[in-house]
Amino acid sequence: MRCARGVCMVGERDRARWLIFLALGLALAGGCRDRPQPSGSEIVMLKVEQLPASPEDPAWQKAPEHVARLLLQDIVEPRQLKVTTAELRVRALQDGKKVAFRLQWKDPTKDELPGPGKFLDGCALQVPAEAGASLPAPQMGEPGRAVEILFWSAGWQAMAEGRADRLQALYPNAWVDHYPYEAPALRGNPSSQREMENLYLPARALGNHRAGPRSSAVEEYLAQGPGTLTPRKNSGSHGMGKHNPEGWSVLLTRSLPRSRYVALAVWDGAEGEAGGRKMRTSWIALRETQPPPR
Amino acid sequence: MARVNNWQINREMAYWYPEKRPRRQFAAVFDINKCIGCQSCTLACKTTWTSGKGQEYMLWNNVESKPYGFYPLAWDLKLLQMLGPQRWEGARYIGQTIFEAAPAGRRVRGWQPQERDYAYPNVGEDDCAGLLDKGLGLHVPHTAWFFYLARICNHCSFPACLAACPRGAIYKRQEDGVVLIDQSRCHGYQECVRACPYKKSFFNPLSGTSEKCIGCYPKLERGLQPQCFLNCIGKIRLAGWVSPPSQADPENPIDFLVHIKKVAKPLFPQFGLEPNVYYIPPIHVPTPFLKQMFGPGVEEAVNTYKRAKEDPDLQALLCLLGSTERLMARWRRQGEWVVGAADDGGEIVRVPLKEPVYVRPAFDQRYEIARVNCP
Repeated sequence: MRCARGVCMVGERDRARWLIFLALGLALAGGCRDRPQPSGSEIVMLKVEQLPASPEDPAWQKAPEHVARLLLQDIVEPRQLKVTTAELRVRALQDGKKVAFRLQWKDPTKDELPGPGKFLDGCALQVPAEAGASLPAPQMGEPGRAVEILFWSAGWQAMAEGRADRLQALYPNAWVDHYPYEAPALRGNPSSQREMENLYLPARALGNHRAGPRSSAVEEYLAQGPGTLTPRKNSGSHGMGKHNPEGWSVLLTRSLPRSRYVALAVWDGAEGEAGGRKMRTSWIALRETQPPPR
Repeated sequence: MARVNNWQINREMAYWYPEKRPRRQFAAVFDINKCIGCQSCTLACKTTWTSGKGQEYMLWNNVESKPYGFYPLAWDLKLLQMLGPQRWEGARYIGQTIFEAAPAGRRVRGWQPQERDYAYPNVGEDDCAGLLDKGLGLHVPHTAWFFYLARICNHCSFPACLAACPRGAIYKRQEDGVVLIDQSRCHGYQECVRACPYKKSFFNPLSGTSEKCIGCYPKLERGLQPQCFLNCIGKIRLAGWVSPPSQADPENPIDFLVHIKKVAKPLFPQFGLEPNVYYIPPIHVPTPFLKQMFGPGVEEAVNTYKRAKEDPDLQALLCLLGSTERLMARWRRQGEWVVGAADDGGEIVRVPLKEPVYVRPAFDQRYEIARVNCP
């Protein structure tokens, strides 16, 4: 048990007291074996046979919980100068090939509808692209030292769950007289209609991954410093977010990273957070472990 | 921040990037006195560029009645209030620009419009300043006033949208100075929407990106004026190229109006963006209001415009507005005619300074019919 490491710091003269404490601890651990243990300064990736497919899967109960204190992104403009989301609760499970993280944070408002002056809830995890003793800058890497980022958005989650790609899905009472792609001359010709639709949606026409519609709630990126986020082909990662009155619970699954460090970030749409305006962590160590014997 | 030279405020100022002027700068002159607020320009732009999904609320071109019209709501008042006193010392601005007044953690001082701010695009239309009691409106000059302000992106020399974009997704074209948002790169953080003081960058909720006036650059590339210029039935607009004042060329129509005659003024030069749409100010509006909106040289501009009938060159050039779809890089007056010309001096259009007058008798003897004044 990792908690024993903390106990070892106790001085020699307290050895007797330590033994009593250890015995009590072991008794408690044996009495409730499934209760998660705090993971200290690391995120423990517990080995399992099968990764959970949802943030609500009971399998998460076995994984130790790491509570990450979030920091302000106050290094590059636009900076986050007000503490919003204070902490992030993280659990991780791995099956030898992939790792699943569950990120939970308090956020009573579900911000999933985009609009002028409206921002979306989101979270991201970042790992160094290469394994090595020295780590790239935790703020999205640095030139020549890339990081891999997996980003989840509440807006994308809503799209993945079937939100229609039309104005009325955002503004139910909106009325639009006519769009050019609805012209009678184009009816019955879906490719011509799509071509006309894209004429007015250049972001989609240019293949901007953010421009929707989409079936996945996550996107993979590479970055070599702030402002360099570049989408890359999905390597098999996925994500799923569930909201309850307390906040978000988000599952992020990706391949086991080469490096054993991760950094995390959270955006609260109701606080106007987007891009660099976010709460984040520095690098947190990852450690693989086997489940305790039954 | 770098130091750049902004000639509109007659001083150096702080800007996020070093000064790098394009080879040519797209510019326009709008004669406010001729605008009738018909919104033909608005429709021309709307049907050409913003008829798609997520663009329903967008007006890259809009016309608002001043003093009470805004799109989005109170776009100018909010920033003027945030910026505090804006003092000029002669032609030199000694207050803070929106770059110099940037709050901690931001590159630009701005405000974020909300959905409701876009909900009243025609608010204040034709509302005039003051009350019209007891038939006051019947007297000339009017004691109450309003005017139409047609607005597009100013394709600024120091764009706030470009400075604020954390992804570097906004760029200024070297060939014409047009400011564009790279739609393949934009992530829709809305920093540009917040930063643009003129609020000419818009967030598209369905594409998740921000979009803005593109100066009809596909037309500019073909030597044509943008759609809102072509469709202006009041013929208030002239598109072209503006030079820095030290390189002002009297044969360039925009330079002539902006630098030589100084009859066209930038909109809110104190914001510090060096906007490139220049307005011939309305002659019937109180000077303090105009000074705040167009800077300290506005009184001189109004007086010059009022005396245009004594200035054959100015009078001639004003006749070129709305005379052709083609871009006129040069111009010349030839007696009672004004000629709009291309870069090489080749004639594009020829306009008489005075339209010929035809007098027809009220009764047509040939057909034995009384004529009426309709076509």
